[in-house]
Amino acid sequence: MTRLPAPWGHRINRDKPVSFRFEGTKFTGFEGDVIASSLAANDQWMLSRSFKYHRPRGLMSMAGSEADTLVQLPSDPNVQADRHQISEGLLVTAQNVNGSLANDRDAFMDKLGRFMPVGFYYRTFMGPTRNAWLKFWEPLIRKKAGLGVLDTNATHQNYEKANLFCDLLVVGGGAAGLTAAIEAAEAGADVILAEMEPEIGGALTYRRDSSDLLHDLRNRATACPNLRIMTDTLVNGWYEDNWLPLIRGNKLFKTRAVEVILATGAIEQPATFRNNDLPGIMLGSAAQRLMRHYAVKPGNRAVVLAANPDGYRVALDLLDAGVELATVVDPRAGGSGGDLANALHTKGVKTLTGDITEAQGKKHLKSVTADGTRIPCDLLVMSVGSVPMWQLPCQAGAKLSYDQDHARFNLTLPDAPLHIAGSVNGLSSHDAVTTDAIRSAHQVLAQLDLPHRDIAGVEDTEAVLANFEPTITAHPKGKDFIDRDEDIQVKDLQNATREGYRELELIKRFTTVGMGPSQGRHSALAAARIVAKATDRSIAETGVTTARPPFAPETLGVLSGHHHPAERRTALHQEHLRLGADMRPVGAWWRPYFYGDKTDARCLIDEEVRAVRENAGVLDVSTLGGLEVRGPDAGEFLNRIYTMAYKKQPVGRCRYCLMTNEMGTVIDDGVALRLADDLYYVTATTGAVARVYADMLFWNAQWQLDVDVLNVTSAFSGFNITGPNARQVVEALNSNIDFSHEGFAYLEGCEGRVAGVPVRAMRIGFTGELSYELHCPSSHALTLWQAIMEAGKSVSLRPYGLEASRILRLEKGHILIGQDTDALTSPDELGFDWAVSKSKPFFIGKRAIEMRRNKGLPRKLAGLSFDAPRDSQDVPQESCLVLRDNVPVGHVTSSLYSPTLKKHIALAYVHGDDSDTGTQVTLKCRNGKRVNAPVEGHAFFDPDNKRQEV
Amino acid sequence: MKILTCPMNGPRNINEFQCFGPVKNDPDPATTSDADWARHLFRVDNSRGVITEWWRHVPSNYFFLAERNATTNEVIRTFTPQDAEARP
Amino acid sequence: MPLRLLKYAFSRDYPVTGDIPATPDLKSSYDVVIIGGGGHGLACAHYLSKYHGITNVAVLEKGYLAGGNTARNTTTIRSNYITKEGIAFYKEGVQLYEEMSQELDFNVMFSQRGQLTLAHTEATLRSFHLRAEMGKHAGTNIEVVDAQTVKDLSPHLNMDEGGPLEIMGGLWHADGGTARHDAVAWGYAAQAARRGVEIHQRTEVEGFETDQGRITKVRTNRGDIAAGQVMIAVGGMNYDMAMRAGVELPIRCYPLQAMVTQPLKPWLHTLVSSVSLHTYLVQSSRGEIVIGGGSDPYQLCSTRSTLDMKEHLSEGATHLFPFLQGVRLLRQWAGITDMTPDYSPIMGASPLKNLWLDCGWGTWGFKATPVAGKYMAQTIANGRVAPILEPFTMERFARFELLNEMGATAASH
Repeated sequence: MTRLPAPWGHRINRDKPVSFRFEGTKFTGFEGDVIASSLAANDQWMLSRSFKYHRPRGLMSMAGSEADTLVQLPSDPNVQADRHQISEGLLVTAQNVNGSLANDRDAFMDKLGRFMPVGFYYRTFMGPTRNAWLKFWEPLIRKKAGLGVLDTNATHQNYEKANLFCDLLVVGGGAAGLTAAIEAAEAGADVILAEMEPEIGGALTYRRDSSDLLHDLRNRATACPNLRIMTDTLVNGWYEDNWLPLIRGNKLFKTRAVEVILATGAIEQPATFRNNDLPGIMLGSAAQRLMRHYAVKPGNRAVVLAANPDGYRVALDLLDAGVELATVVDPRAGGSGGDLANALHTKGVKTLTGDITEAQGKKHLKSVTADGTRIPCDLLVMSVGSVPMWQLPCQAGAKLSYDQDHARFNLTLPDAPLHIAGSVNGLSSHDAVTTDAIRSAHQVLAQLDLPHRDIAGVEDTEAVLANFEPTITAHPKGKDFIDRDEDIQVKDLQNATREGYRELELIKRFTTVGMGPSQGRHSALAAARIVAKATDRSIAETGVTTARPPFAPETLGVLSGHHHPAERRTALHQEHLRLGADMRPVGAWWRPYFYGDKTDARCLIDEEVRAVRENAGVLDVSTLGGLEVRGPDAGEFLNRIYTMAYKKQPVGRCRYCLMTNEMGTVIDDGVALRLADDLYYVTATTGAVARVYADMLFWNAQWQLDVDVLNVTSAFSGFNITGPNARQVVEALNSNIDFSHEGFAYLEGCEGRVAGVPVRAMRIGFTGELSYELHCPSSHALTLWQAIMEAGKSVSLRPYGLEASRILRLEKGHILIGQDTDALTSPDELGFDWAVSKSKPFFIGKRAIEMRRNKGLPRKLAGLSFDAPRDSQDVPQESCLVLRDNVPVGHVTSSLYSPTLKKHIALAYVHGDDSDTGTQVTLKCRNGKRVNAPVEGHAFFDPDNKRQEV
Repeated sequence: MKILTCPMNGPRNINEFQCFGPVKNDPDPATTSDADWARHLFRVDNSRGVITEWWRHVPSNYFFLAERNATTNEVIRTFTPQDAEARP
Repeated sequence: MPLRLLKYAFSRDYPVTGDIPATPDLKSSYDVVIIGGGGHGLACAHYLSKYHGITNVAVLEKGYLAGGNTARNTTTIRSNYITKEGIAFYKEGVQLYEEMSQELDFNVMFSQRGQLTLAHTEATLRSFHLRAEMGKHAGTNIEVVDAQTVKDLSPHLNMDEGGPLEIMGGLWHADGGTARHDAVAWGYAAQAARRGVEIHQRTEVEGFETDQGRITKVRTNRGDIAAGQVMIAVGGMNYDMAMRAGVELPIRCYPLQAMVTQPLKPWLHTLVSSVSLHTYLVQSSRGEIVIGGGSDPYQLCSTRSTLDMKEHLSEGATHLFPFLQGVRLLRQWAGITDMTPDYSPIMGASPLKNLWLDCGWGTWGFKATPVAGKYMAQTIANGRVAPILEPFTMERFARFELLNEMGATAASH
């Protein structure tokens, strides 16, 4: 088929042919063509097969609204053929086809319609056996499900996000949107206008007699410096406080607008009759788009179903394009096209008052039956009314109501910085739309305190003619589609109401009407009408539909953008790598797991443990949380936050910190070093420090103590030098701190300089050995580390990693918050009554701890050990159950092999009544085997804690 | 995205904030029964009308109060704890 | 072809089954009034009428049938919890789903294709081991699997080897599955209605009259009703409804959001969820990918959706399956969840003698629909809390006997 001559087809560049393939056949279109237009120009109208019945389907709206135009690109399923532009070599195939589009092996499904009434799948596929659905029917049905095919090898694409801000966002660049945007911008507002099409103008770009107005608006828009026009940009939702996602290609612009004008237009609606889904049947606006945008002649011999003036305009357009016009059918009783009809009559076109009841044709329209007469044609154009584009307004809180008198839907806006203008507001003629747009712009200007005037609302005589309420009766032979996406016919909705699904939402769920890709754009109105009639109610009583974002399908890629999980590295990350560390993620941090070749992991970890027990090791503890609590009330503050007492803690001393929540559950622990009367340096566990920091200030917002808290976790790095020879290492450092036994006792701390670096030094540790922990500003971390390594050369100081650290701490029975505790662990269950002050009048959780104590001890964390070969599976590993009369009463929280003690050691919750030392408890290994063990204390190694105090 | 106005930092996107839940009265442990203390621990104002909540501006770790309608999500006002005490 | 289809093919007119009778006039009195016409209320009505012979029952629904969380959840059915009380309860829930289509003569399309929960950290793996040990001990089908098995079960997963979210293993729950949520409610409704239970849509309970610790009257927008026994099962409205009877529940409401893509040919055969990413995915029998995750971060009784949650869920989904970048999202929505302090439901007695609670389901009530219905019916019929429900009493909080299921809810439901 040849193209219409210019000026038809202003979007295509006839100098630039573009070739592509559809279903294996080569087609040629022009630059600017979309897939559907270039195929139509080559007389290829069928684009897909329908979801359930595999009926031939083609374009209907040319607006990217329906599932019928969805096609498959190699790595991109469900692409809108009526919006996606062709490119050289593009490979396009049809979707939902078994075999080929032309010869779909599943086309027989169309004949089986009577076997598949609405909701039939709820009543069948259940037998003959209980699991028949799962084993037999479901796999069969899953094969038929879905539309496009996902390419699981699709390559990664680049997606971006940006933020935009403006005084006014105008959604829709048609006559209303352009007018409003220009009016507001000329008055000084900062305006963004977003238009989903590649050019501004909306319906003016294809509607008859619109070019002068379009030309004028485009000129004015170009002259506005503070009007940003974004074409190809979809405004895909409305979220609280005028937060709107604008999508252009692979980029998401999250836009904050002070005011929003929705000039989103109207959705033209199809008519309902038998076989209304045949290729060759399309909306009036679709025919106009084909002609004016792409110079495609929509057919050779046409029937126009016109129930409003626009229908007559389309008929005149078709004549201008050289389409033979068989007749214009006007379904309105006494309906007439007025002057437009006269213009048609002078060109010899007959008008018939009546309705179309059926269309005929196999793969394309061949004829229609109008008032009992069969009229041969290959094009049927429907112009029977429209509904406001309700999605964005309704997402923003507008209510959609039905005006029975004028057979039209109206939107009522919420009290918000949100406005509507143009055909979304029920207006049709150019004059009325323009006046309405100016009105809305001045409402906005008033809100923005810019020069404005009051403009009255407009009544549009043409809009009154634009809609009529058709009587929808089910065709006895069916195939009168209400929802083409889902293959829903009139009788399906009627039958659903007879089954008792009388509420619109129930019908939606039972029939799936409106659930497909078009999300009810062409079906919501008709469905509401059918249901109202079938249940003998008004549309006001049944309601219409809900609107959930997004407005149109949007890719997950554009929503996720560039996304990388948060990763944190200590100041020594590169140094650890240089030392051959196996780095592993722990929470957000990367930490050395051990140092050396991965294949020797166990051996190396054992050596690291032995180094600490027999010599000296050093651990990077920079990930530990660090908080500075400062102020005259700092001691009182810690007294309320932690379970021990801090007010009388001497300067230069460290004290254990145990934190419980209001429920008396242990949530964190650490150490507080008092650096001055009004300053404590407090550590917190790596994973909890952010929460502890927040909680501290949360409580103080209520207590109003004279204290401030600073999170210095990232500011400080820390190293723990531990082992019998640790003192030799620190004493070899160039420092002004006396590290001697006499000068620096266990649990003491001070500030000083080491290797020229300011440090906070503490005699604390997690290994049970003689330990010194040095914290310094992170910028000096490498200097300090290198000095420590240098000083440690004489004793072969060895850096050790996380796994050795875990073994060392478990050998000492130290708990790990979050591993050995859970959401219910009380200090009593840990045996930590020593850490809970009895004398303080208050700390967070005190009352709950007492209440829980009065109820008895349900469980207690106990030490357990097992003599078994290292690799034995008959040892309870972490998370294995502790059983009492075969009922789980607790579980193993930590379990490791101790290379020092040459046995398996574990911490586990045992029943409160079994917590005395020596009591035998039963555990269930992962392999199911039961083992017994006597309860021990927590500290397996050096139970008297002599080594740390040497 | 909703906007919340921090008394210190001004209007910001709500994802900069963390909600710490409705304000609770602080009962006196000395005079409160176990049953009432348990109620204090577990019960939270979940009414559908206006609730007064603690919020935190995360980057500044600043805590303040907000009156918010728990059904419409409308924020009626935000204020500091000092302002709350100053109220009659 | 199933024989039943022939019935349709050879009937001249569409043969109406009449699943849900039109709402009748309210009587002045019922033996049992069930407030809430969602899955739970309707299941209870079914069990009362079929197994306890109690048919003078009214189910009151303020909107349309099953329009609350029954309609909005993402239909996961599983029993991979961590407390022995929770596992025992949900295990029976899964078993009842296995029989449900036959029980109701309504195909609820229970699709038991298994649930795979991913561990990206050692801590998660440790908690999976505990859930597996607890589950195995109770006889459920659950195990911890290594990274290679994860890959075998879901070959398209991004394992992120060497990355910060490397998949270290998973919790494989072969009993897990999904069902058609609406069908569950409709099937129970149709069965209950056939035995004489009245279903009243657009009937809102406005308040109660009480006397001597009993509810004497239920006030509705269509008139007052006397009731022998009353059950509350109104999802996101539970807190408010209980308050109308003077009962204070430790519940907070949060929106829970989900979203769904356009239909695709099936490629994802199990449920996949990630604890660290707060994201889970399942492909429905229609071919859509349903994606859900964590709750909103503050209390709200609204079903509005947010862009932030959609971005967050998309990040999670495209991290797990990078090729989903090009897949198009069709719809997002939200439900209101009624969360308890320990993430377990509140079932059983209330301070009022004839008021029974089926509340606090939070993010996970759908999977309990049949088992909660069964035992709430037994409880109401006997006037005594069924033993399996006893641990879920509202009194457990004051006793510090919480059933902590926080780790087993969140992203993995």
